[in-house]
Amino acid sequence: MENKIYGLLAEFDTTTEIVVAAEKVRDAGFTETDAFSPFPIHEMDEALGIKRSILPYVVFAGGIAGLILGLGLQYYTHVIDYPIIVGGRPHFSLPAFVPPAYEMTILLAGFAAVFGMLFMNGLPKPYHPVFNVPRFNLATREKFFLLIKADDPKYDYEETKAFLESLDPQEVFDVDE
Amino acid sequence: MANDTFKAPESISRLSNLFLGVGGIFTLIWAVGCYTDTENALRGWLLGYIFWAGIGFGGLGILLLQYLTGGAWGVVIRRVVEACSRTIPLLALLFIPIGVGVKYIYEWANLPDDKFVAARGIYLEIPWWGGRAVLYFLLFGLMAYLLNKWSRQQDNAASYEEAAMHLGTATRFSGPTMVIFVLLVTFLSVDWTMTLEPHWFSTMWGFLFVAGWGLSCFCFSVAILAYLHDKAPLDRVLGKRHFHDIGKLMLALVMVWAYFNFSQYLIIYSGNLTEETPYYLVRSKGGWGVMGLLLIIFHFAFPFLILLMQDFKRKAKWLAALAIFILFMRLVDMYYIIGPSPRIGELKLHKLEVAFSVTPWDFVAPIAVGGLWLWWFFRELSKRPLVPHKDPFFENAIKHGKGH
Repeated sequence: MENKIYGLLAEFDTTTEIVVAAEKVRDAGFTETDAFSPFPIHEMDEALGIKRSILPYVVFAGGIAGLILGLGLQYYTHVIDYPIIVGGRPHFSLPAFVPPAYEMTILLAGFAAVFGMLFMNGLPKPYHPVFNVPRFNLATREKFFLLIKADDPKYDYEETKAFLESLDPQEVFDVDE
Repeated sequence: MANDTFKAPESISRLSNLFLGVGGIFTLIWAVGCYTDTENALRGWLLGYIFWAGIGFGGLGILLLQYLTGGAWGVVIRRVVEACSRTIPLLALLFIPIGVGVKYIYEWANLPDDKFVAARGIYLEIPWWGGRAVLYFLLFGLMAYLLNKWSRQQDNAASYEEAAMHLGTATRFSGPTMVIFVLLVTFLSVDWTMTLEPHWFSTMWGFLFVAGWGLSCFCFSVAILAYLHDKAPLDRVLGKRHFHDIGKLMLALVMVWAYFNFSQYLIIYSGNLTEETPYYLVRSKGGWGVMGLLLIIFHFAFPFLILLMQDFKRKAKWLAALAIFILFMRLVDMYYIIGPSPRIGELKLHKLEVAFSVTPWDFVAPIAVGGLWLWWFFRELSKRPLVPHKDPFFENAIKHGKGH
């Protein structure tokens, strides 16, 4: 029975080899790519042409939202809904409002960082086709894998496979959908 | 690279001479002021001294810190902060006008019978106050001497094992010494600045100065490293990665400074006690109030938001420009502490409003102290290799320097 192909996976033995290969893949114009390694490779983002994440802006927006929410909550409770004098201070005493507002800023920025990261990484993901390749388990130990997905505009089974073979990998696998 | 000496470029010596000239001329102008306008001239000197001494003492603190934490930033910044720490003998000399003119700067020195001053007993009398100053310089001087000695021995080390041994010695020394350093800065900042307001007290004071002086020294070091980063020999050492790391630490210290300052304010605001509030009442009215607002915006909010950006921290020149701006705000911060404090004869008035004022000596004296300090600093910087090239972590610290 013919299976649908998710993409092509090339296996490499060292960081240097996969970074060099990734640069060639990027220069060949492939965009739907991914790399898997047992530890972070600093050069990989640039080698694969991965764009900078927008996560920092999401975190900043989360922080601002927390700040406004924190100040707003205190303003509503202390000034509008139930104004009472505490410690001889005015109803709207900004210095006393700062610590809770600050905590809300940190809280929502933290939430934005964690959940934004999970969302942008597409996690949680219970199924991923690369695990159909038995040797892929080595990605958590000693091998490095480079993936070109079938939905890449430049993808063509025969040509891409020949191209990956030319990058001098240890082996190229078909990844079943 | 093994045989490289990493000698400082020629321009460092020229800078040193230039600053000696500037410092000399402004010190002479200031000396004239000592005769014509003694009190203001000495208050100006105190402002300049506290600002520049902060970089020198801060250098010692950062030196201890980088031995304790390790990391590439510590290896590339070490020789700059070592040179800062070697200015302590000069700082002892520059303290003489403050020690001699104590009765022109500190109201308590004239009021031994004041209830508050008398209650502080022998601790706040001139002999013991001066004795403590001598003690600070001796202890700081000893710390700086030992750390610099081990660092020089490391440069002359014959083998990797010997170099690693000297690093180990310095690291073991830095742990307990860091505790003593913070305690000394606490006592010192209380003696030299908090007693300007002898009726007032704040338990945050020491931390304010530890954080503020650490920030001063970091900003100063960034400016120096940015100046050196495109010249031989450091153009092969310093990379974006190092400025990125130092920029992150600057961001942390900007936040710590704001945190301590706000803590002090919030405690006094919430406590609402008669002895404590005048400090901020005076500083939140008129010109001083505007100055306080400018400090919140330009000493905290503006650098904080700028330093959040990753790209900014990776550009040496931009980071240095911001560092020099923060250094200027550090000076403003010191003036915000010193400027509104009661002048001689004013303590008994218990003023709750002080007109904003600034004298020419508040500009002349910081330039005079700064010129002399920078002369000494650049002279010391050029005496040794600009990086600890025998350090066991040196190769690791400069690896990937250009790329990251």
